[in-house]
Amino acid sequence: NGAAFSKARGSQSGQDSTRWHVVRKFLGLISSHNIPVYLIDPLILGLVDKDIAQIRSSPDGPSPHCKYFCAPRDFTTFALLDKTWKHEVGLFRTAEKMGFQWLKILNKDPRLDGMDDLSGMEIPLHYIFKLASHAIHLVVFYERSGNYLWHGPLRLKQHMDRKFVPFRKLHFGRYPGAYEKPELLHVSIDDLKVQIPKNPSSFLEEMSHSRFLECRYREARAFFQLYPDDASLDAVEFRKKAKSLLHLAALTLNNLGVKFWLSSGTCLGWYRQCNVIPHSKDVDLGIFIRDYKAEIIPAFQKAGLPLKHKFGKVHRYLELSFQGEDDVKLDIFFFYEEDDHIWNGGTQAKSGKKFKYLFPKFTLCWTEFVELKVHVPCETLQYVEANYGPDWKVPVKTWDWKSSPSNVQDNGVWPVDEWDDVIQIY
Amino acid sequence: MDEWKPNPAVKPHKKRSWYLAWKYKLMNQRALRKLCQTGAVLFLLVTVIVNIKLILDTRRAAYEEEEESAQDYDDEMLNVEVPRHPVNNKKVLDVEVYSSRSKVYVAVDGTTVLEDEAREQGRGIHVIVLNQATGHVMAKRVFDTYSPHEDEAMVLFLNMVARGRILIFTIKDEGSFHLKDTAKNVLKSLGSQVAPFLSWRDMWTFVGKKGGEVYGEKHAKSPALSTWGDPVLLKTEVHLTSVEDAECHWPDTELNRRRKRFCSKVEGYGSVCSCKDPTPIEFNPDPLKDNKVFDVPVAVIAGNRPNYLYRMLRSLLSAQGVNPQMITVFIDGYYEEPMDVVELFGLSGIQHTPISIKNARVSQHYKASLTATFNLFPDAKFAVVLEEDLDISVDFFSFLSQSIHLLEEDESLYCISAWNDQGYEHTAEDPSLLYRVETMPGLGWVLRKSLYKDELEPKWPTPEKLWDWDMWMRMPEQRKGRECIIPDISRSYHFGIVGLNMNGYFHEAYFKKHKFNTVPNVQLKNVESLRKDAYETEIHRLLGEAEVLDHSKDPCEDSFVPDTEGKIYVMFIRMEQEADFTTWTQLAKCLHIWDLDVRGNHKGLWRLFRKKNHFLVVGVPSSPYSSKKPSSVTPIYMEPPAKEEGAAAVPAVAAAEQT
Repeated sequence: NGAAFSKARGSQSGQDSTRWHVVRKFLGLISSHNIPVYLIDPLILGLVDKDIAQIRSSPDGPSPHCKYFCAPRDFTTFALLDKTWKHEVGLFRTAEKMGFQWLKILNKDPRLDGMDDLSGMEIPLHYIFKLASHAIHLVVFYERSGNYLWHGPLRLKQHMDRKFVPFRKLHFGRYPGAYEKPELLHVSIDDLKVQIPKNPSSFLEEMSHSRFLECRYREARAFFQLYPDDASLDAVEFRKKAKSLLHLAALTLNNLGVKFWLSSGTCLGWYRQCNVIPHSKDVDLGIFIRDYKAEIIPAFQKAGLPLKHKFGKVHRYLELSFQGEDDVKLDIFFFYEEDDHIWNGGTQAKSGKKFKYLFPKFTLCWTEFVELKVHVPCETLQYVEANYGPDWKVPVKTWDWKSSPSNVQDNGVWPVDEWDDVIQIY
Repeated sequence: MDEWKPNPAVKPHKKRSWYLAWKYKLMNQRALRKLCQTGAVLFLLVTVIVNIKLILDTRRAAYEEEEESAQDYDDEMLNVEVPRHPVNNKKVLDVEVYSSRSKVYVAVDGTTVLEDEAREQGRGIHVIVLNQATGHVMAKRVFDTYSPHEDEAMVLFLNMVARGRILIFTIKDEGSFHLKDTAKNVLKSLGSQVAPFLSWRDMWTFVGKKGGEVYGEKHAKSPALSTWGDPVLLKTEVHLTSVEDAECHWPDTELNRRRKRFCSKVEGYGSVCSCKDPTPIEFNPDPLKDNKVFDVPVAVIAGNRPNYLYRMLRSLLSAQGVNPQMITVFIDGYYEEPMDVVELFGLSGIQHTPISIKNARVSQHYKASLTATFNLFPDAKFAVVLEEDLDISVDFFSFLSQSIHLLEEDESLYCISAWNDQGYEHTAEDPSLLYRVETMPGLGWVLRKSLYKDELEPKWPTPEKLWDWDMWMRMPEQRKGRECIIPDISRSYHFGIVGLNMNGYFHEAYFKKHKFNTVPNVQLKNVESLRKDAYETEIHRLLGEAEVLDHSKDPCEDSFVPDTEGKIYVMFIRMEQEADFTTWTQLAKCLHIWDLDVRGNHKGLWRLFRKKNHFLVVGVPSSPYSSKKPSSVTPIYMEPPAKEEGAAAVPAVAAAEQT
C-alpha cells in the first residue's frame, strides 16, 4: 500500500509526503482522462539518472523508501504533448472536484506568427495544478516545422494571480525552449507509475541549452515593406537550393554530433528577413574550433558535397568550403574563443593575405529557419552588427568579404612555404 | 499597406442625406447652436486627451513586450481595454429606422447598426434581428426582393428566427417587385399592417417582436411609377426583457454551453437554437476501419458566409472517419459570425487580415491558409482543402483513405479531387469508379506537402497579380503534365450561389444538376489501375471492348446512344492538335455538361456515362488512342456557332471565374 508506506516513511525521515500525495493524485487525474504526460522535473530526473540502471531493470518493483517524490519542493514538473489530447474541459472539472486549483497560461500561437496577418485562437502553454502546499507544473509541448518540440515562455497577464505559486522558481518558462522528440520509458519510482525520458542525463543536458529564439517576423515584414522581396524565378530557385543545402549540411553535422550555427549572410537573412537572402549566393555556418572533427570533410564528401577549398590550419584561421548543387557554396567558418572576444579567420587565395573577424562573446540559442531547428547566436544583434555594422538593415548587393565587414582586421600574410598547406583549392 | 490603391471600380459615393439636412435646418437656432459648439469643443478636447493617453499606453505596452525582460515572469502588457458600458441595465432601447431610395440606416440607442448608402448595392428589404434581452444585433440580412426567389429566402430566414426576438425591417430603393403573397403574409403575421399592400418603390420601415407586439411602422407610397416614395424615418422604443426569458433552458453540458453562447449571439440558424428540440451539434459518425487519412489536416477556406459555413461543417462533421481535431477553419477577415459557427462546433478557427483585393485576396488567403496548415501540423504529408460552400459526401474520407496512397507513390499525380467537373445527374453513374484527368478540379481536394512546399509556395502569385489561385495552379508551368484522380460521382457538392464569381444563373446552369454521392462506405474499384502505366492498360482494355457508335447520326441526339445499359461505347471527334477543342466544346454544350473551358480530359479522351452506358470520346488524330479508330469511321466535326454579338463574351468571362 503506497499511501501507508509513504506516510510512514515520509514522516519518519522528516520528508514531505504531501508532495508524493499530490503527484499521485495528479497522475490519477490525468490517467482517468487518458492524457499521456511525462516527467521532466530536473531535480527528480537528476536523482533518477543516478539509479537509472536499477530503475530500468525493475520497472514495476516496489520501492523500499520514498526517495524521489518526497524531497520537499514547491513544484513537480511534467510535460504534455499537445497533439496527444483533445483539450477537454472535463479534465478541469474533475481536477476541481479532486481539490485542485488550476491556472492556465495562454498565449499566441508562434506557428502562425510568421504568417501574414493570421490570428488564431490563443494556445495553452502552461498549466499549474495546485493542491495544498504543492503544485504541478505542466508544460505543453508543440510540434513544429523542423521536426522538434517547442514550449512557450510563461508570462502572466495582468489579471492573473501573481502569488498563485512562486513563479520565479519554476524550471521551465523563463524562456521558450526547443527539444528533440524524446523517447519515453514507463517506470515505477516511489511506487508511482510515470513516464520519463529514456535517457534522463541527455534530457538534462538538452534542457540546459534549450533556449529558443523566435524569428522577428514583425520586423521582417517591415523590412519587406521597405525592400520588397525578390520574387524572380532566379531568387525562388536559389532559395530552394540554399534550403536543401542547409538541410543536408545540418543532417551531416548533426550525425557527427558537431554543433553549428547560422553565420554571416545566412544569419543576417534569418535575423533581418526570416528567410534566405536571395542574392547571397552561399550558405554560411559557424563552428567552434573545439567542436572540430577530422571526419567533417569526408562526411560532407560522402553526402555529395565535394571540398572546394580549405584555408588555414586547425589551430588558427580554419575555413572550409564545399561545393553544393549549381554553384551554391557551403562555407564553414571555425571560431576561436579568446578571453574577451571570439574570432574567425579568412585567407585570400591569390595573395596569401590573412584576415581576422572579431565578434563579442556569444552563446547559442535554437531557432527555426527554413523548416529546420538550428542554432544562432543568442546575442544576434551584436553578432550581426559586429559583422555588418550599424546599417545591417539596408540590403547591400556588392559585398567584399575582405573590406566590407566592419569587424575585419588585416592580419598579415601567410609565409610562402606554408601556402601549400593553408591554401588548398580543389 | 499605404501603397495599395483603392479599388478603382468603386465609384465615389455622394451623400444623399437631404432629409437630414432639412431636419437640421429646422433646428438651426442660435442658442442651440452655441451650446452645440461648446459641447463639441469640450468633447473634442476630451477625445484628444484620451487618445493621446491611449497611444502612449499602447506604445509603452508594445515596447515592453519587445523588451520582454527574461528576468520576469510578468507579462507587462498594460490593460488598454476600456471597461465597456453595461448595456443591460437599461430597460428601454431607442430604435431609429430610415428607409429611402438611396440610403437606409438603423440606429439602436444612438449606435448605428446598419448604414447603407452605397450605389447600386443593397437594394431590397434589410432585416435586423436584435436580442430581446441585451439589444445586441444577432443577424443582419438583405433580401433583394426586387429579384425573383429572394422573398422565399427571406421567409425561410424569418421562420428560423426564434420567437421573442426583435425584428427591424427597412426598404432600400425597391423591395416589392418580387415580394409574393407568401412573404407578405409572413410579414403580416408579424404584425405589419402595410406589408400586404406594399407596392412599387414604396418606402417602408417596421419594428416588431416575433410573436409579440409591434413597436412601430411607417410607410410612404410611391406617387408614380417613375418616382420613389418619400423617405421615412421611424423612431420608436423597445422594451427589453430579462436575460432569463430570452434563453432556453437546456441541460448544462459542455455542448449546451457552446450552444447557449452561439444562440445568444446570432440568429438565423433554425433548430440548432430550438428550446424544445435542438438539433445536435455533435455527430459522432461511424469511424472508418483502417482510416489512412485520420491524421491528415483539413483546411476549410471560408469568407463571410456563416450560413454556408454552418451547412458545410455539419456535412463535414457527419462524414464517416472525420477527425475534428485535424480541422482548421481559415476565415478571410475579422468576421465574428463565422467564428461563432466554428466555436459552436468546437473546432479551431483562424482569422486572416484581408490583404489585396478580390481574386488576389482569395489567392493570398489560400496561401496563408495552406502555409499555416503545414505549420500547425508539421508531420502531415498531405492536406485536405475544402471551401465553405461545399457539402461533403458521407464517404468523403473513405474515398480518400482508399486512394491517398496513390498520391504518395505516383509522382505523375498532382492531386486527388472529390469533384468531377463532368459528373452531372445524366453523365455520372458509378460511385466506385475513378478517373485520371489532366485538369485540376478543386472543390474538395488533397494537396501533397512536398508539392506545396517545394513548388507552389515559393512562387505563389504575389498580391499585386490579380490571379485566381486555381487558374494559376492549372497553368502548365505549375501542373507540369501531372494529373488528378477524380471519382465518377463527386464526393462534394457545390451549393454556393452567392460568391465572388457566382450568381444564381451560373449556379443553375453549371452546378445544380451535379451528381453527389450519398452511399456510405463505397468500396472503390480497381484503385491500383489508376497508376500511370496501369491506367493506359485499362484504357486500352476499355477501348478494345467498346462498341463504335454510328457516326452518321447526330451525337447531340438521344438516339445517338442505343437504349442499353452497362455497355461501353466510343465515339471519335475531330481534334487536330492537343489544344484543339472545337468539336469537344460543341459536344459538351449539347450534352449539357461543363463547356466553359476544357475539363476532364486525359490524353484527348473523355469518359462519362450516357443512358447508364460508359461513353468514351476520343479526339482524332491528336489523341494517342486514335489508333483505335476503325478506318471506315470519319471523326465527327462540330462547328462552333457563328459569333453573335456578345454571345461569345459570356463563356469567356465565366471561364475565367473561379468555380
